[in-house]
Order: sequence, then structure tokens, then C-alpha cells
Amino acid sequence: MYGKGLRTLSIATVVAFAVSLSLVFFYAPLEADQGFIQKIFYLHVPLAISALLGFIIGGAFAVAHLRTDNRKWDAYSYVAIHISVIFAVGGLLTGAIWAKASWGHWWVWNEPTLVSFLIVFLLYSTYYPFRYAIEDRDRQARYASVFAVTAGAFVPLNFLAVRMAQSLVHPRVFATAEGGLPGSMLLTFLISLIAIALLWVTLVKFELVAKSASGQVRRLRRALDAPGPASTSRIAPEVH
Amino acid sequence: MLALLAATPALPLDEAGKYVAGAYIVFVLVLLIYVGIMASKLQRIEKELREVANIAEDRAVAKDQAAPGSATEESSISDSLTSQVRGGGAA
Repeated sequence: MYGKGLRTLSIATVVAFAVSLSLVFFYAPLEADQGFIQKIFYLHVPLAISALLGFIIGGAFAVAHLRTDNRKWDAYSYVAIHISVIFAVGGLLTGAIWAKASWGHWWVWNEPTLVSFLIVFLLYSTYYPFRYAIEDRDRQARYASVFAVTAGAFVPLNFLAVRMAQSLVHPRVFATAEGGLPGSMLLTFLISLIAIALLWVTLVKFELVAKSASGQVRRLRRALDAPGPASTSRIAPEVH
Repeated sequence: MLALLAATPALPLDEAGKYVAGAYIVFVLVLLIYVGIMASKLQRIEKELREVANIAEDRAVAKDQAAPGSATEESSISDSLTSQVRGGGAA
């Protein structure tokens, strides 16, 4: 069910990545101030944007779960947050490398953009222990959805607060008074963003397929555990 | 492809190059770690599925021994199991 279109999506992701990397290294001009180091921008920023949007999407799925009580939406929300956390790790690591190359430090604590992203990442890192600390599956799903909605609402508020803050060193690339990125860089950035977004969707779908398969196997086990002929079961009880 | 690569300008892989390469390698490594974890999960699912299939086959054999000659019913055991789980969503 969830595997439908996964192959096409995977191919589209690979093609988008090939085009994106070609544009990054062979089309986009070198930035006048930072030079070749600025190429990290085409990886770091799409990863961070995808992660933040993924957290918001996870919150939207959680709203759907709370409204309909359909466990499917809880699974969607969990997977969206899970993949976004992985993307956030990628964003933090690539950002640290860029910071070291550009500013001479792996991390700058008085920079609101960096610290706020770290806070969002740490917030969502608590999602897993919070979720799995609850044994009852219905309560687990409901509480996790409440967490996802609350944290998902925090993400855009946090983003706006950071945009309004006075940045010390982190560049404000978009919507600046100077006009932002030149056309060739903007095109390369948008293609990179599409490639990373496609990767996010592909991984979400892939994870959903794996979770669905795992769920089907568990249901089969339960069906086999039901009393029937030769009912000595070799199946261990399910542990959540 | 080789001709295309030969025609492309050389990348300025000086001091900045190692940082750019590092960032992209880190991204690939994060992806590979994720794929590795997913591979181990899929292996576990496959193992569980094999166990379930073995149990279903054992039951089919046991049923066959209990009531010989009911071939049609025996062959539909796996079908009936899948029909019981039909309509299942994500875990």
C-alpha cells in the first residue's frame, strides 16, 4: 500500500540529486566573499529547511490523528518527525563544518540562528523517550500527537523570532534589502532544495513501507496465535 | 561521460576543498548509516516473516494429518491468514 510509487520517487530523487550536484559544482558561480566554501550552502540550507518543514508536517499529521483518531496519521507523524530529526543532524553537522571553514569555529553560541536550530533539534530529540516511555499504545499515540502539534507550532514561531533578532555572523541570504541571491545561484539552490525535499519524501515513504510490513507480520503472528488446530504456539508475546 | 568530465572546469580543491568535501561526505555518511539501520530492520522483518511462514506450514501439515483428503481447505490456509490481516495500516 505504502510502497506504491516508491520506485518512481527514488528514480526522481536520484535524477534531482545528479542535476543538483552538477549545478552546484559546474554551473553556480563562486561566491565573491567566501569562494568555494559557499558550496556547502546548497547542502546545508536545504537540509535545515526540509527538517523544519518536516517538523511542521509532522505536527499537521498529528492534528489529523487527534481529529480522526485514525492511527495511520500517528504513524505518518512519527515517520515525518523521525526523518526530519535525521535531516536536522545532517544540517547541524554540515553547518558546523561550514562555520569552521568560514568563521574559524565549529560552533558560535551567541548566534541566534544556530542556537535556535539546536533548541528545536534537542526538543525533537526528546520525542522518542517521551513516546516510548508510555506503554499503552493509544495513550502513546495521543500524547505523541499532542507533543508533535505543540512542537510543530513552536518551529515557525522560533523561526520568526530568529529572523527578527539581530544576527551577528550568520548570513541572511533571502529577502535582503540588497536583493538576495543572483539568478544562477538561486536556480541552483532551488534545484538542491527540490532534491533534498524529494529525498525526504522518499525516505518517509520507505520508512512507512518498512513500518507497514512490520505491522503486517505482527498481525499475522497474532492471527496464528489465535486458538486453532495444533495450538501450541511458539510465538513470544508482543512487547511494545 | 568521460569526455564531459574532461570538458568541465577543474574544481578549486585547495584549503576550502577539504571542508566542502567533508560536508558532502558527512551527508552521505548520515544517509548510509540510516540505510544500514533500515537494512537491519528489514532483515528482522524477513526473519519474523520466515518464522510465521514456518508456523503456518506446520499447521497446514498438522491439519493435513488430522483430516487427510481436504486439499482445497489446506491450500487456502495462507489465504485465510492474509484475509484476516487485510485492511491493516501502518504500525
